[in-house]
Amino acid sequence: MDVKVINPILAAFAEILPQIGFQKVEKKNISLVGSTFNYDGVLINLAVVGSIKGVILIGMDIDSAKRFASQMMMGMEVTDFDALAQSAVSEMGNMVCANACTQFSKIGIDGLDISPPTIMISQGGQATLSVPQTVVIHFLVDSIEIKVYVGLAS
Amino acid sequence: MSIKVMVVDDSPFSRMMIGEALVGAGYEVVGEADSLESLIETYNNCKPDVVTMDIAMPGADGFECSRELRLNDPKAKIILVSSMKDEESEAEAKRIGVSGYVQKPVDGETLINVIKNVMSPDALFEQLLERGLETFKEALAQNVTRMAKTPVTFTPIESVDTPYISQGITTVIGIIGQSTGSMIMDLSVQSAEKITEAMLRRPSKNRDEVLAMVAELANIIAGIACSMLNKKDKSFALRVSPPSLFHGNTAEIVSPSVKIQRALAETDFGSIFLGVGFKKGSKLWM
Repeated sequence: MDVKVINPILAAFAEILPQIGFQKVEKKNISLVGSTFNYDGVLINLAVVGSIKGVILIGMDIDSAKRFASQMMMGMEVTDFDALAQSAVSEMGNMVCANACTQFSKIGIDGLDISPPTIMISQGGQATLSVPQTVVIHFLVDSIEIKVYVGLAS
Repeated sequence: MSIKVMVVDDSPFSRMMIGEALVGAGYEVVGEADSLESLIETYNNCKPDVVTMDIAMPGADGFECSRELRLNDPKAKIILVSSMKDEESEAEAKRIGVSGYVQKPVDGETLINVIKNVMSPDALFEQLLERGLETFKEALAQNVTRMAKTPVTFTPIESVDTPYISQGITTVIGIIGQSTGSMIMDLSVQSAEKITEAMLRRPSKNRDEVLAMVAELANIIAGIACSMLNKKDKSFALRVSPPSLFHGNTAEIVSPSVKIQRALAETDFGSIFLGVGFKKGSKLWM
């Protein structure tokens, strides 16, 4: 996968998360996994269609997802990862990926569109994407760990 | 009351052709412009419901004219009508807020369809909701029967908002177009193995082979269903993303922003869950 697809996604996280109640967005590291990887907790699936195609998945464990939703809702207590919390994190996924499409157009990758988010919740789940390699970006957002899986190809 | 259209094109011949198609469909051509100079004044005088806009014009092109028009009236509904139609032009049109895009030479019926849909985008979305699940069911039945040689019948299931628990292997395919949406297909590992065996005429060698079959089946179903819908109305302009597969331990699947309509296909190899949902869009690209 072309590394240039990573920067627009980093830029989108850096731009959107401060707008929805987060102070510090740190990129910890970037790694590569194959087409199949394990996940525990929540995985938000957003498909991308255009001159590059594939999927962006945002993953976090259940506890992180609850903390994330709580912070998005101005500190409201989130005891269960319920419909409201699910809606909050899926909206974050939607905003970040829509912004990533704008960031992509800045580097000449135009006309991308995203699908509505689908959330998978599992312990010991596995995901298989249609690309040979998936880029994993590890973020620390106000001490909440987020993994972003990027499986895009032209 | 008939729909009022203004035609912007530097070619008198094109203006005549578009005008005749519009009048033939019972629309009223209330104004014409051939350049940026006369555009805003004519628009403000004739107050059209829709503007058709050529791209290649001497001086200010259709994009610049559209930008000026949207500055003058942010609610202006513009349909680009041009022989140019590439990714870059489409992206630029989307940035400007153009509502539709029709390629020249103009097919009267196509143009009328786009105008109808621009005037009432909800009607198009309603059609998609009405036809969507049925079309995906048809594509699933046809292709599972053809590929795995099993009859398919559907059991109705209530489209309630409760989360769905995976039977083993879930495929999620994103759908992009005038409206965006998702297709979710889910079946047990056993059913997937049996279908793979029926298709390959031998047992599957490993899990990867089974997953590859499921991904391909979902891809075919979504692709064919979207083509069928696009054939019914080009304005849907649906395209599909590559499939994401989820397996391993049991998973709960939720779609917070889209109501998923559900159906359960019964086959000789077990049941296949099908979920399809769409979200309202606003752009029409032909």
